[in-house]
Formats: sequence, structure tokens, C-alpha cells
Amino acid sequence: MQAKWISKKELKKLLTAWTKHYLVYAPIDNDHELAFQMVKEPARIVVDGYSNTRYPAKSLFLPQSEVLMKYDGILHSVENTEKEKILFGIRPCDAHAMQLLEHALVDVENPDLYWKQKRESAIVISKACIAPEETCFCTAVGGSPFNTADSDVLLVEMGEDYCVYVLTEKGISLCKELPDAEDTQLQAVKKLTKKVVGRMPVLLPKQELHNALMASFETEFWKDVSQSCLGCGVCTFLCPSCFCFDIVDETVRKERVRNWDTCMFRTYSLEASGHNPRPTKVERTRQRIMHKFAYWVDLIDEIGCTGCGRCVKYCPVNIDIREIAEKALHREFEGMKK
Amino acid sequence: MPTTRDQKIQAEAKRLLQEGVVDVVIGFTKGTLPYKMQPCFIQHAEDVEQLELNGLCSNNLAVYLNHRPKDERTAIVVRGCESRAVQTLVLENRHARENLYLIGVPCIGILDLQKIQQHEQDPVLAIQEEGDQVHVTLKSGEKTFQRSEILHNACLHCNHPLPVNADMIIDEAGLFEERTFDKSYLESFRSLSLKERYQEFTKEAERCIRCYACREACPMCYCEECFVNHSRPQWVDSTIDPAGQQAWHIIRAFHQTGRCVSCGACERACPMNIKMTYLTDLLNQDMFKEYDFEPGLDPALMPPFLALGEDNEKFGVGPEGSHAG
Amino acid sequence: MKNCYEPFPMHIERIVIETTDTTLKSFELTFDREADRKDFFVKYNPGQFCQLSIFGKGEAPIGIASAAWEGDFVRFTVQKLGKFTSAIHAMHVGDPIGMRGPLGNGFPLDKWKGMNILVIGGGCAFSTLYAMTKHILHPSHRADYAEITALYGTRNSGLCLYKPVIEEWHNRNDIVVHQAIDVPEDNWKYHIGFVPAVLEEMAPKPDNTVAVLCGPPVMTKFTLPILTKLAFPPERIYTSLEKRMKCGVGHCGRCNIGHKYVCKDGPVFTLKELQELPNEI
Ligand SMILES: Cc1cc2nc3c(=O)[nH]c(=O)nc-3n(C[C@H](O)[C@H](O)[C@H](O)COP(=O)(O)OP(=O)(O)OC[C@H]3O[C@@H](n4cnc5c(N)ncnc54)[C@H](O)[C@@H]3O)c2cc1C
Ligand code: SF4
Ligand code: SF4
Ligand code: SF4
Ligand code: SF4
Ligand code: FES
Repeated sequence: MQAKWISKKELKKLLTAWTKHYLVYAPIDNDHELAFQMVKEPARIVVDGYSNTRYPAKSLFLPQSEVLMKYDGILHSVENTEKEKILFGIRPCDAHAMQLLEHALVDVENPDLYWKQKRESAIVISKACIAPEETCFCTAVGGSPFNTADSDVLLVEMGEDYCVYVLTEKGISLCKELPDAEDTQLQAVKKLTKKVVGRMPVLLPKQELHNALMASFETEFWKDVSQSCLGCGVCTFLCPSCFCFDIVDETVRKERVRNWDTCMFRTYSLEASGHNPRPTKVERTRQRIMHKFAYWVDLIDEIGCTGCGRCVKYCPVNIDIREIAEKALHREFEGMKK
Repeated sequence: MPTTRDQKIQAEAKRLLQEGVVDVVIGFTKGTLPYKMQPCFIQHAEDVEQLELNGLCSNNLAVYLNHRPKDERTAIVVRGCESRAVQTLVLENRHARENLYLIGVPCIGILDLQKIQQHEQDPVLAIQEEGDQVHVTLKSGEKTFQRSEILHNACLHCNHPLPVNADMIIDEAGLFEERTFDKSYLESFRSLSLKERYQEFTKEAERCIRCYACREACPMCYCEECFVNHSRPQWVDSTIDPAGQQAWHIIRAFHQTGRCVSCGACERACPMNIKMTYLTDLLNQDMFKEYDFEPGLDPALMPPFLALGEDNEKFGVGPEGSHAG
Repeated sequence: MKNCYEPFPMHIERIVIETTDTTLKSFELTFDREADRKDFFVKYNPGQFCQLSIFGKGEAPIGIASAAWEGDFVRFTVQKLGKFTSAIHAMHVGDPIGMRGPLGNGFPLDKWKGMNILVIGGGCAFSTLYAMTKHILHPSHRADYAEITALYGTRNSGLCLYKPVIEEWHNRNDIVVHQAIDVPEDNWKYHIGFVPAVLEEMAPKPDNTVAVLCGPPVMTKFTLPILTKLAFPPERIYTSLEKRMKCGVGHCGRCNIGHKYVCKDGPVFTLKELQELPNEI
């Protein structure tokens, strides 16, 4: 890791220069809300003063709707036309989520090439959060507002400048011209980190929560916490680490497409016989929460929620995943191993 | 003696649970964020203090009648639109009226978060309602609004804030007057050219992420299988391309013709801030013009499109032709 | 690099109407491309499944019902239920069709070497058991295993799959076949009754034996306790699961039970493995 330094003015120039050589995606103000979009006018990039976008950046790598194949008597995969691109301004929680998606979509035997090609062609410049929102809880799930996971470069806003952490070869190629940060500057970054992290929620006991949820599986707990759930796609579609998809044939367009899908929809696990292993919102809510806080832990010993807070903020009935985790931790379930 | 609106709701809920009149009281309680309230389901008299009602209660509670056992004896705290939704559900045989107890509250309107925040990146840290005034603490500073400035459009255009056919009314004056069907706000849309109307419509629908929060938040959307999920044949493009988005918005609205109670719960649930009540209001305006019908007002009147039988010569049957039973 | 979602082209070589009610048909598919054929047979292990694909009708996971030695084709036995399965039922010999696979783990046949094998099948779920039994009965494999016993139950004799071959099994001396139907019929020579009851009556010995169970959920539900009662340990009871599937390769998230994906980690699990997972079948 290298630590460099740049003034805000210089960064703007650099961004403009990058747009000449790369496709740059960055937060753009879209009337009331920010969204990651391809940058046409660098002046429109929102560089500071935002917490996060509502629509998650995962859509750049796993688009909500994506053509997989075209049909002309047989199905042909669409060609890979990915160009090298820069993703600027993604938050550490969302960058971390990309590692989780990488795990879900890419394995040795059957890598998801659509994801892989998009991911590999991207340089990720993330921005540390110096003013996390009230709904942010990355620190509770093992992350940090200054987390470097899955980023090539991490920027930390320091007054009129940024400290630039260069984390990978890809990052080095972009930032080699920048001067190194001085020791006093790095001291200041450390101090800021400590201050910001100190105000954030404390780490959840991962294994204890996992065990509590496993023990809760067949209890009334899930009935309690799912009562108000409407069964919509908000929490999972906006979630940066949800990856479920459906494959559908669009016959008019002669395309096989995939669309985001979600375990919160009642049709998701419905079988042709009529049997549904998750027949009500009780089982569906359980799946969402347990996938994040239990199954991911079983799989890679990490929580599958990155604490971005989107589901908390946008759930139409204010079902709060933090609250459910807390409740599970504080309830006594039979046969529970602590 | 209970004095405030919340205390009166709590007192009635307590009585209903203590006397065993109902098994559950559905209302709202404090949420986990300063700008959110949560639907809640009170089953024990000692829990009634959780019940609260304010301008941040953005859902239509009648939706839960579609989730819960049909034989459950249920009390619901209802505002005008919620009572009309219950009526419609009863008319459509979704629930037996005798299992329901409606605690009616004259409505004070629901606040629109979008009108409170200039920009979403300026989060709301606190909200305090005080009569006609609402004090808001945003990250960028404090603000005081007149309630009417920040009401959700559905409430601004509401004709019937008083609960219909409730079992009791919490006797506090609501904010609005009752009025006969007034959707004059639609005139500006109607006066646009076809092309301009299509543009307006497209501008909204193109942000849709097909999460169906609008459908799930709507008490009238209770189909076992929604037309968008139908697979044999598949009626609607499945993607977030315009063809699919637009079909979803148009057909959804059509299915609400003469059934939508104009509560705006769909819009408030939408994570993409998409406007859609203008569509259902337009259709309801036609229903009013053609049949003199307003959804949920008369407990004996079937929505015209449900009442139409083989005997009806044409769509022009009046309300007397559409009486239930 | 191979796109794991792209089906390869196949053709329907032969169609067999399996049951008198015609709801079950077997389709034998052959490969259009030599490379696909090679690749398939290098990987194939009985118990695996494929995603069959008809553009416009989508895909459906179907268990492989043939043993590799049977020839250069792959057999699938399909019950007509919904969109895809109705479409394939309407197809003819010579029609093109897509296929992805083989997918999933299959039965651990190597691990079972030297053991007795008790095959318990019900209804149309018998197909992968059939493939496995055929594989084992092949002269070059049979010596690897000890006694083979099969119990196959169907509602009536008309619903029994693969009749000619099963008739032949009855006459062999390297496999004991029990067949059962739910209600009596004229000229029926075998058991009458539900699979769990017949199994209890048969009382197979658990020693050095694996029990492999595939059937409709009710059958599985009532048969497992009988096996336990007969002292089969959970790690020697195998079953193959069904779940709604899309990708078939562990990416789309759909078919999970706990942290396992039935498509990738299964569909074959031991009862012991299932007991360690959340109860969500
Ligand atoms: C590992 C495995 C092996 C199977 N083997 C066989 C077999 O040998 N013979 C047989 O007849 N059936 C088998 N099935 C069940 C078969 O896959 C379903 O009956 C079939 O998918 C129904 O598709 P449909 O389009 O006709 O039904 P629809 O109800 O129209 O289904 C629409 C879509 O949902 C999915 N789906 C619905 N039900 C199921 C289900 N039970 N399992 C998986 N996906 C489903 C499919 O993607 C399908 O395209 C198997 C299922 C699994 C998981
Ligand atoms: S579960 Fe919620 S808080 Fe966690 S990553 Fe997903 S959207 Fe963010
Ligand atoms: S929580 Fe649900 S939608 Fe999200 S990845 Fe898990 S199973 Fe899929
Ligand atoms: S956003 Fe809320 S209401 Fe919608 S499915 Fe998620 S938890 Fe349920
Ligand atoms: S809630 Fe909004 S984004 Fe979701 S389906 Fe409805 S209109 Fe589309
Ligand atoms: S079918 Fe996609 S994960 Fe199993």
C-alpha cells in the first residue's frame, strides 16, 4: 500500500483527464438523489458531501436486467464488449459487497463470465466515509468507513485535500504521478479514522449471532419479526450484497435475459408441483436475515451484510435488520450453543 | 381520562383486548428512524402504550387484512383511506365485516419525506409535529413547515379524511374538510397533448426497478398470482426496459379502476419516488363521471367493474345497477 | 472460457411413453457436437442432472436416467407439469433441444464399493436411481459391490417406469427386486402397499449397507423413520433433493438450504448432512 496526497482542485483535473481515457462512472446528481452514472460532463460528478447512492453500485457489474444470450435457432452468448472503466466514489461497504458477490458468482469450475469480465475491466476508486449516516453500521458487521477491501484506491477527504491510499497494481498505474503523503498528514488521517470509527456502532458478536439464529430457526421469533413485512423487493434489490437472479426468455426480442430476483418474493421458491418450501413471509424473512448473518458465516466466516443501511432506510414498513439482529442476540432459544 | 389522540386510541385498544372483543389491534408504533413509524400488531392489553399515530405513519394498514388469518378478530386503527380500503375488501369478500372492529381516526394527513428534504443527501435527524406546524431537524439545519406544505399529494387531494363505517371515532377534529369528488389537480395533466402526457408518464415509469413495493403496499393488490408473474403465457416483459416498466404501470393502474382508495401508500412505499397516484386518480375520475362512484364510500355499493354482469347492457349502468347482493 | 449458462445443442433421438396415463415420457438426446459429448461423458456420474432448455419455454432441471455404457445418448424422464415440461412433452423425434450439464454431485459410487446397496424409489423420482442401478449392474462394475436390493413403489402398475428392463431385473440373480403398488390389481405378482410399510416388512439388514432413497416428499418423510428404526445410521442414508432451480451452478441463489446449494452441493445428500442443515425442504 502506498499513501499519496492530492488537493481537491488537482483531483478534479485528474478526474477530467481520466474521462478522456476511460469510461468513468461516478455519483451524479439526479434531482433529489444520486446515482452511479457514466460521466459525460466531469463537472457534474458529486465528489464530496454525500453518504451513498440509493441504487447500489452492484448494478454496474450485475445489471438488474442483462441479456445473456440471443436466439437464432440456437442460443448464442452475447459477446464481451467491456471496456476498461473507472468506478469513482463507491463507498467501502459497497466495495466490500463486491467481494461477496465475487465469491457468489465466480468459482473455478463455472465462473459467471458476465460478472467476471465487468469486474476485471474496472478500476475501483472508493471514498472513505468521514461523516457516516445514522443508518450506517459497517463497523457492526466487520467493516469500517475506511475499509480498503476490494478497492484499487481509497480516498480520504482531509479538508481541502485527499489522502490517497493506493492499494493495487491497477491503482498504481492511475496514481503514479502523485506525491507521497507526509508523516504528519498520515498522522492526521489516523486521528480522523479513530474519531469517525469511535462514533460508529460496535462489532456484533458474529458467532454468537450465528448460533442464535440457527437455534431460532423453527421458533416463533420469525413470526414476530416478519409480521409487518410486505414481501417486496426493496431490501434485497437495493442491497449491495444480494445477488439472486432469475433467468427468463423474452421471446419477442429473442433473448434469454437475467433479472434480479429476491427471496422476499412469494414466487421465488415456488415449485411446479405447487410445493413451496418458503410459503409465507415468515420463512422468507428468515431466509433473508439468515443468509446475511448465518449462511455467509458458515460459508466464509464473514457476515454477508456490509452495513450500508439501505434496507433500513428504504423498507416501506421500517423493518430494521439491525433491530432483528439485536433481538435475536437477546432472546433465549432452546438448545442454543453460546 | 385519556386526552390526546394517542391516549384515546390506546384506551380503546386496551378495552377491546381486555374484553376479548378482538384478538389483535393493528396500528402504528415508533420506528427505528426519526422519520419512520412501523405497523404493529398488539395482542396483549399491557402493550397498548406502543400505539401511536402521527403524520409519519405512511402505510395503509388495511393491507394486513390480506396477510392475516381470515377468522382472526381484528381491530384496525383506520384513517379515511384505510376505512375505505377495508370497505372495499369486505365488498370483495376478502374479509367478513363482523370480524373487524374499526377504530376510526379523522385524518391529519401523511407527511411527504421528499417535500421535507431538499435532497436525499440531507438526512432528517428529527421531526416534531405540533398542530399545523412541523419542526424538522435536517443535517443542514432546523426548519419549520406548515403541515400543508409538506403533506403527501394523496392527502392534499383527499376528499374523505373521515373514516367511513367505523365502529367508533376518536373524536378529534381532523385536518381536512370532507368534499365531493375533487381531483382538479388532474386537469393540468389532462390538458397536455398525448405526446406530453406520454413523456410525463415515461419520466416516472423509467425509474421503476420492478420491486413491487407499490403492489405489496396496496390493500387492493391481493391477487394470488399477479399478472406480471404469470408465466403461461408471460404477459409482460420481465426486464427493467421501458416495455416492461410501462406495461407494469399501466396494467396495475387499470386493475385499480374504481377500487383504488387514493391513499397513496404505493407512492410512499416506492424506493424510487415514482409518481403513480395520478394514474389511478385519472381512472377513478372517469368512474366518478360515468357512474357517480367513489371507492369504499358506500358499504353496499360494488365497484362498477366488479358489479357488471351479463345483464348489464353496456358499461353505462348507473350506481343503482351495481348494488351488491 | 465456457459460459456456464449457455446450453449446447442436442437432438431428440427417441421418445418412450413410460406410463399408461402418458404424463411421463423418456427422451433420449444425442449430441450435435462431438466436443460436448466427450466433455459430458468425462464428467458424468449417476445421480447428476442437466438443465434442459427450450428457448421461449425456459429451462428445467431433470435427472439423468441413463448409464454411460448404454450408448452415446442421455436419457431424461420427464413428468408433464408446467411450462417447460409441457413443451417438451409436445416435442418429436428429431427436434432440437438445449442442454447444460452434467450438474450437481451425483452418488458417491466409489465410496460405496464393497458395500450392499439398498435402492428405494417411488413414483417418477426413480429415474436417477435407475441410472445408478444400471451402472452398477454392468459387468465391469457389478463385482465392485456386494448385494443389490431394489424396492420400487408406484401408485399402480401403469405408472411403473422402464417396465421391460425392470421385468428383466426380476429374472437376474445379481439383484433382488421388490415392486409395490398402492392398491391390489389383477395379475399383480409383487407387494401391495406403500413403500414405508413394504420396507418394514422386508426388514433389510443395515450392516455394511447404504440406503439410497428417492421419491415424492411424503414417501421420503415416512420412509426415513423406518430406515432409522431398522438401524441404518444417518450417514449411510442417501437421498436426492429437489428445489426450484435456475442457474444450476450455485450462482443464482435460488436453491439453498442453509449455506448449501442443492444444485451444486447436491442434489444428493446424506441424512446426516441434512440433519445438520436448517429444516427447510
Ligand atoms: C435436481 C432435480 C432433478 C429433477 N429431476 C426431474 C426428473 O428427472 N423428471 C422430472 O419430471 N422432473 C424432475 N425435476 C423437477 C422438474 O425440474 C420440474 O418439474 C420442472 O422444473 C418444472 O418446470 P415447468 O417449466 O414445467 O414448471 P413451471 O411451474 O412452469 O416452472 C417454471 C420454472 O420454475 C422452475 N421450477 C419449477 N418447479 C421446479 C422444481 N420442482 N424443481 C426445479 N425447478 C423448478 C423451473 O426453472 C421452471 O422453468 C427435477 C428437479 C430437480 C431440482
Ligand atoms: S442487508 Fe441491508 S444494510 Fe446489509 S448490506 Fe444489505 S442493504 Fe446494506
Ligand atoms: S438475502 Fe435473499 S435475495 Fe439476498 S442474496 Fe440472499 S437469498 Fe438472495
Ligand atoms: S423492504 Fe421491508 S417490507 Fe419489503 S420485503 Fe424487505 S423487509 Fe419486507
Ligand atoms: S414501488 Fe416503485 S420501483 Fe417498485 S415496482 Fe412500484 S413503481 Fe416500480
Ligand atoms: S439453481 Fe441457481 S443456485 Fe442453485
